[in-house]
Amino acid sequence: MAEREVLDLDVLFVGAGPASLAGAIHLKRLLRESGREVSVAVLEKASEVGAHSLSGAIVDPRALRELFPDYNDSDFPFEAEVSEEHLYYLTATKKIPFPFVPPPMSHHNCFVTSLGKLTRWLGGICEDENIDIFCGFAGTELLYEGNQVIGVRTGDRGINKNGEKKPQFEPGADICAKVVILGEGTRGSLTKRLINQRELMEGRNPQVWAVGVKELWRMPAGTVPLGYVAHTMGFPLGNDIFGGAFLYGMQNDIWDLGLVVGLDYKNPAIDSHHELQLLKNHPWIRSLLSKGEMIAYGAKSLPEGGWYSIPKLSVGGALLIGDSAGFMNGQRLKGIHLAMKSGMLAAETIVEALSAGNFTETQLSDYETRMESSWIRDELWKVRNFHQGFDHGLLGGLVNAGMGLFTGGRGWGFKNRLSSEAGHNKMEKDAEKDRYNDLQFDGTYLFDKVTDVYYSATAHDEDQVPHLHIKDRDICSTKCTEEYGNPCVKFCPADVYEMVPDGNDQRLQINFSNCVHCKTCDIMDPYQVIDWVPPEGGDGPVWVNL
Amino acid sequence: MGILVIIEQKENSIHRMSLEAVAGAQDMADKLNMEVSVLLMGGDVSPLVEKAQRLELKEVIVAEHELLSEYSCDGFAEVVRQVIKLESPEFVVMAHTYMVRDFLPNVGVMTESPFIADVISFRVQEETPIFTKQMFNSKLASDIVVNGNQCGLISFQSAAYQANTVRKGNSSLRKIQISLTQDQIRSESEAPFQDSAGGVDLTSAEVIVSVGRGIGEESKIPIAEELASALGAELAASRPVVDSGWLPPFRQIGSSGQNVSPKLYFSVGISGAIQHVVGMKGSQNIIAINKDPEAPIFELADYAVVGDLHEIIPKLTEAIQALHN
Repeated sequence: MAEREVLDLDVLFVGAGPASLAGAIHLKRLLRESGREVSVAVLEKASEVGAHSLSGAIVDPRALRELFPDYNDSDFPFEAEVSEEHLYYLTATKKIPFPFVPPPMSHHNCFVTSLGKLTRWLGGICEDENIDIFCGFAGTELLYEGNQVIGVRTGDRGINKNGEKKPQFEPGADICAKVVILGEGTRGSLTKRLINQRELMEGRNPQVWAVGVKELWRMPAGTVPLGYVAHTMGFPLGNDIFGGAFLYGMQNDIWDLGLVVGLDYKNPAIDSHHELQLLKNHPWIRSLLSKGEMIAYGAKSLPEGGWYSIPKLSVGGALLIGDSAGFMNGQRLKGIHLAMKSGMLAAETIVEALSAGNFTETQLSDYETRMESSWIRDELWKVRNFHQGFDHGLLGGLVNAGMGLFTGGRGWGFKNRLSSEAGHNKMEKDAEKDRYNDLQFDGTYLFDKVTDVYYSATAHDEDQVPHLHIKDRDICSTKCTEEYGNPCVKFCPADVYEMVPDGNDQRLQINFSNCVHCKTCDIMDPYQVIDWVPPEGGDGPVWVNL
Repeated sequence: MGILVIIEQKENSIHRMSLEAVAGAQDMADKLNMEVSVLLMGGDVSPLVEKAQRLELKEVIVAEHELLSEYSCDGFAEVVRQVIKLESPEFVVMAHTYMVRDFLPNVGVMTESPFIADVISFRVQEETPIFTKQMFNSKLASDIVVNGNQCGLISFQSAAYQANTVRKGNSSLRKIQISLTQDQIRSESEAPFQDSAGGVDLTSAEVIVSVGRGIGEESKIPIAEELASALGAELAASRPVVDSGWLPPFRQIGSSGQNVSPKLYFSVGISGAIQHVVGMKGSQNIIAINKDPEAPIFELADYAVVGDLHEIIPKLTEAIQALHN
């Protein structure tokens, strides 16, 4: 039988997103300046860098400029500088412009960007810097020596759906490193386990997530204004659900339309994919898109909790960066620059630790100190109570955010810290049933979920153990059906969960091969029995430009 | 010499897909003003010679060697290399079968020729031959041209051309000498895929009965099996049926299964999600039975039956069996 391979490295980043890639590049350069050659590698579960990258996105170039001081903005792989920006309140048929775009929501000097393009570009620079990126390998376990993290075990390949070894079975490798940096992105599976085991959220507000779903539309030549930015509130979510839509003008006449839905809604019937289709029914969106062709679909959760939901960031041998750490500015709708900066601060911490030959928790906690004296803190502190305000609806959220502007971010103008509650706890037991009754999927403009999933190009080897572990299946067809009407069927934007008839009852069917790795189920399940773990490396969506 | 089609032998006859490849080569020849020859290779190709000579060709080339009696990747690749060297064809055309996937890439490496695999269509634009193949789950069609002056190796996807459009004629025969020694063959082939346990080559089936979730439960699968056997069809399924373990994975059609293009695709209780449709939309005729008149499969079907398959299929099977008798 094949033996487990062991690989010894100095520094290992998990997840080739903007945080890890920026961190790895910064680290390698700092070490080279001081004349040291250190082995740095990045693990990535996707088949290639960027294939699992999805964001809006509008990028604040601040971190990129710091990382590449010799580059001009035009050297970065942006789509376009923001050329015009709009903020609308939507009713079912009308759009009402806000009289002005409030300064903190302004995207002046920022850039419409495809995160997939940006990470692919950063991946290319990593190659030039001799950083190994292991694509198609998912980290499935942290390796420990006592309490010290000493590496990551990658997933086995070639296990069939019954858990038996197939002929091509290959055991995962143990990649040992002095420091492991978890940049797994939103709701990382290793991160989640580490946070729980080491109680890294102690004394913090629970993290609150949202899910973003988006479609790219290719339009006739010359019809999409490059760098156009619009954000909306109101329809279709209404005033009680946190979130809103975005519409960005990309290169090659592509509209990037998406909707962010807070994963702290009450109505268990909410379906983010269907909400996006409702949004497309708005006359304004229809007038923009109807002559085009939908070319790509994707979904991803995002941490919205802000400053008070950031976990303890360091343990012996490991650091948390990017979305794994919750670095997202909910008010500015931006996290990519914070993610990159956090990776760079982690790199600086590691340089010191390598010099000292010390990778204990005490040494690595220097990362938190660096973060607290960086502009990440300045930026997040000012909006530390932003998301909590929306517990009181859209109006409450706006009033709170408005008062925060004049008080340096105090809640309701006076409170230093507003608390929050985990989103899945807010789900109520009565579903508002007829929300999508009028939605007719015509297959050319409005798409049902499986069709959209097709446009995410997601693929998984069917003959493997489903990577969505349900800790207690009995709940699904009994308690959950009665109490919430199986919200997993709704909140999953990729039709993974399905209740199918089974005699007189129904049973849960998991179509795991549809999964787009958004992690919504792991976050939003009201009983918290779903555990998302990585499927066989290389599986999942193949996003090109999202 | 123009275009050389390598004919694949199947049960002492010409493989249906090889005839499609000849049709494809004839189309290429018309557009490029070239001539088509075919190569018969094997231990004894005499059962095929007459059939091949009845095609409209420049000539039928025969390369026989006892070491070709059994298929081997090394042996076939080496012989094709020699034939390419002797005859200098501009294009070598084959059907995209399992065998071609196995040995033609080797020929590409040995002769430094590009291999454009699984081509769905051919056209000439500004005198440049352009081959189209599908990419990314059949989402994109990409155009590919052969650079430089090497011989281009082409394999056509099943049903890219129709076998019954092959032009008939009367062609001459020429035997060529090739050399092959036992030590050049480093691998040993197992029995052909169709015969191995549980293996079914759905891609070369002419009629397929495909079952979807509408069948309801595992115990109802036999009604579809009976229809398939009455029609002389292969049985296939959409993903939910395979996922439930009612039929084995190698019978799955669609983006995570096989792509098929039979003459008749009989869809039973399949709604027609796009993931399934990409695997069967090339079928020449589609009959669909589904109780939901809104099922997307009906947009594709040539014959649509809205109704309960449990009622219709057994009666249909009976009627077909009665016809046979």
